[in-house]
Amino acid sequence: MTGQYGNEPMMEMFLFETSQLIEQLEQLIISCEQSGHYTEDAINEIFRIMHTIKGSSAMMMQDSISVIAHSLEDLFFFLRENKHKAVDNSAVSDLVLEGIDLIKVELEKLKNGDNADGNSSELQDRIKAFLADLQIDTSSRATSQQKNPDNKKQQYYLSMDKKKIITAKYKNTFKATIHFEEGCEMENIRAYTIVHNVSDITDEFFHIPENLIDDDNSVVKIRQQGFQLFLKTNSSYKEVQEFFMQTLFLKELILDQIEDSEYERLRNEKQKMTDKEEHITGKQLEEHQEGNKEIQSLSSKQNVISVSMAKLDKLMDLVGEMVIAEVMVIQNPDLKGLELENFQKAARQLHKISSEIQDIVMSIRMVPLSSTFLKMHRIVRDMSKKLGKKVNLKIIGEETEVDKNVIEHIADPIMHLVRNAIDHGIESPEERLAKNKPETGTVTLEAKNAGNDVLVIVKDDGRGLNKNEILKKARANGLLYKAEEEMTDKEIYNMIFLPGFSTKENVTEFSGRGVGMDVVVRNIEIIGGSVSIDSTPDKGSVITLKIPLTLAIIDGMNIRVGSSYYTIPTISIRESFRPQEESIFTDPSGNELIMVRGQCYPVLRLHELLKVKTDITRFTDGIITIVEQDGRTICVFSDELIGQQQVVVKALPEYIRKFKKTKAIAGCTLLGDGSISLILDITGLASLKGLR
Amino acid sequence: MKRVLIVDDAEFMRMSIGTILKNHGFEIVGEAEDGIESVRKYKELNPDIVTMDITMPEMSGIAALKEIMEYDPKANVVMVTAIGQEALVREAVTNGAKSFLVKPFTEEQLINVLNKVLEI
Repeated sequence: MTGQYGNEPMMEMFLFETSQLIEQLEQLIISCEQSGHYTEDAINEIFRIMHTIKGSSAMMMQDSISVIAHSLEDLFFFLRENKHKAVDNSAVSDLVLEGIDLIKVELEKLKNGDNADGNSSELQDRIKAFLADLQIDTSSRATSQQKNPDNKKQQYYLSMDKKKIITAKYKNTFKATIHFEEGCEMENIRAYTIVHNVSDITDEFFHIPENLIDDDNSVVKIRQQGFQLFLKTNSSYKEVQEFFMQTLFLKELILDQIEDSEYERLRNEKQKMTDKEEHITGKQLEEHQEGNKEIQSLSSKQNVISVSMAKLDKLMDLVGEMVIAEVMVIQNPDLKGLELENFQKAARQLHKISSEIQDIVMSIRMVPLSSTFLKMHRIVRDMSKKLGKKVNLKIIGEETEVDKNVIEHIADPIMHLVRNAIDHGIESPEERLAKNKPETGTVTLEAKNAGNDVLVIVKDDGRGLNKNEILKKARANGLLYKAEEEMTDKEIYNMIFLPGFSTKENVTEFSGRGVGMDVVVRNIEIIGGSVSIDSTPDKGSVITLKIPLTLAIIDGMNIRVGSSYYTIPTISIRESFRPQEESIFTDPSGNELIMVRGQCYPVLRLHELLKVKTDITRFTDGIITIVEQDGRTICVFSDELIGQQQVVVKALPEYIRKFKKTKAIAGCTLLGDGSISLILDITGLASLKGLR
Repeated sequence: MKRVLIVDDAEFMRMSIGTILKNHGFEIVGEAEDGIESVRKYKELNPDIVTMDITMPEMSGIAALKEIMEYDPKANVVMVTAIGQEALVREAVTNGAKSFLVKPFTEEQLINVLNKVLEI
């Protein structure tokens, strides 16, 4: 979202704010739809949002967006003024959601640096037609409501009240013709402003056009012929001129002193014209009630400020550098062997503060999953409608936070999984009833913290996975890595994540466009997470995404192999010890295994796997570290444990990543003495050895 | 320096107006994003002029205008609106708004109207 469109801060702000408003609007519409009606507060808020979007997009010269907003604003203006009217809410929702989609498309274009050149005239016509139908029914009420406009008329047409004034009271009579600046808009109200002010200096006046409020043509008349104000006053020509010259947006003033008789003649003429003009139709001028009502809106008012992502990234980087620098000071080789009590105390204090800074900076970048989750309501709504299925979306734990970078990577996978659940998982209402299940299926989207990770769970109560179908497909695509009989149910289900599993046969409009689950998996693995699935036939399926909370700074245990250093994330370590000769043995295939308290684990010789020269090849000379990652437990054999430290994970440089595919290495970092340590990825290591 | 209070619930609008005004010798003494805050800030800062969005949550521009005019009958408030809100604009004028701007407005229109209102 940062600076893709030429670093124009205004455009950035416009896109950010408008996108937020659109999201808010969408949630509002969907919740109104679910509750079955549009409350007054909802209508007001929708109206206000459309009005704001209309204004902002007009300021940014984005007419394609402005006109859609305008159409919808008109619709909701009508709904607001005619609260009692029965309206087809579903039709209204459909229209608004269509408008929202069009606006989203235009915003995307702008985000990509293209022109927002969409044509929404078709939708606009439909909205107008819908509105026209509503208005036909309403106009029949208009005749009975005409009494009210008369009351309001009284307030503004002051001159009508005062016809009885003695005309001899005033010495001078003037005619002022005022032309407003081009493009100032609402000339009728600008004219009204003058009328409002002139009543301060005299009560004998009239103007043409007379009807400035309800006559839509008055704007055109004023633009073409100017606004004519006739008045009688004791002020001098100069004073009257000064008065009119204070008019804002004034282009031209023609001020003439005229005869009293002329004034009377013109006024009588005007009166005849006004009487001939049509009755004001019952357009209710609603009293502005917003000050009295408390509008419960979905817009939460928090004390927040918006910060540029670039600044946050820089801050994260610097915090990382700070951690490294801190370690370099505290573990400096110069200090080796020295007794430094005061220094240690100060170092501990420094560490305490830098940890706090780290925590806060991490938390700044943390964003709740709620906005991503709430977007799913729209998907569920659209899909269930199109597929004729009844689906209810339950959301749990949306306040769970993840790093902002992470959110961008999991939004699409979650969307795909939800779509999949509805497309392939949830059965049709008839099928469900036949199975004695409730007609409405449930898709549950849940997020929760689990140690250093966040779990995102997509659950459905549909038909579950079909083991045989999966085995068949795996067989056909040559994806069986193990004998069928030896696979657990879970292993079979998880085969759907293998690349190449989803073939084109699976393609429906919504899911599986030949891309399938493996793209989901890839997106999650990019951010260091993992995907797994479990299922019960006819009961449903559960897909679990495990996502690391933070990518940047971890607690690590440094180890040495030969003259190379490696780091293992502490969170993966179960224990470390010097092994005994008796506990190690070799299996028939040549794999080395170790026995620990009755359990058997494979042993990885790091010096062999990573091809590092070392003198320590006998197990009893080195260290065994039991590590666990993704449910896999293995033992790693190294020369020596160096020590624990906070480690800033830096990605391997581009040229290395391109040159050699290193599954076993997750990144690199700097140690206290300045040497480089490679961070081990346990799963990657295991796969290097061919273990699964 | 001409002291302005900018009131609008859209940060984008506050930014747009603020940028233009700063380039023309105005001092932005404060911003508010709803009617209630605008009244409070007016009383606190006593700006020379206020740009006030007509439609806002919590308390509308009209209601805020009324309160400000009651507090300071000489207050200079210029309303900002999008097309199609005639009734509201008229009500604003009736309640003491000195003038109004219609979105989209140009830099020139904004500067001219504020300067003129301050002159009067």
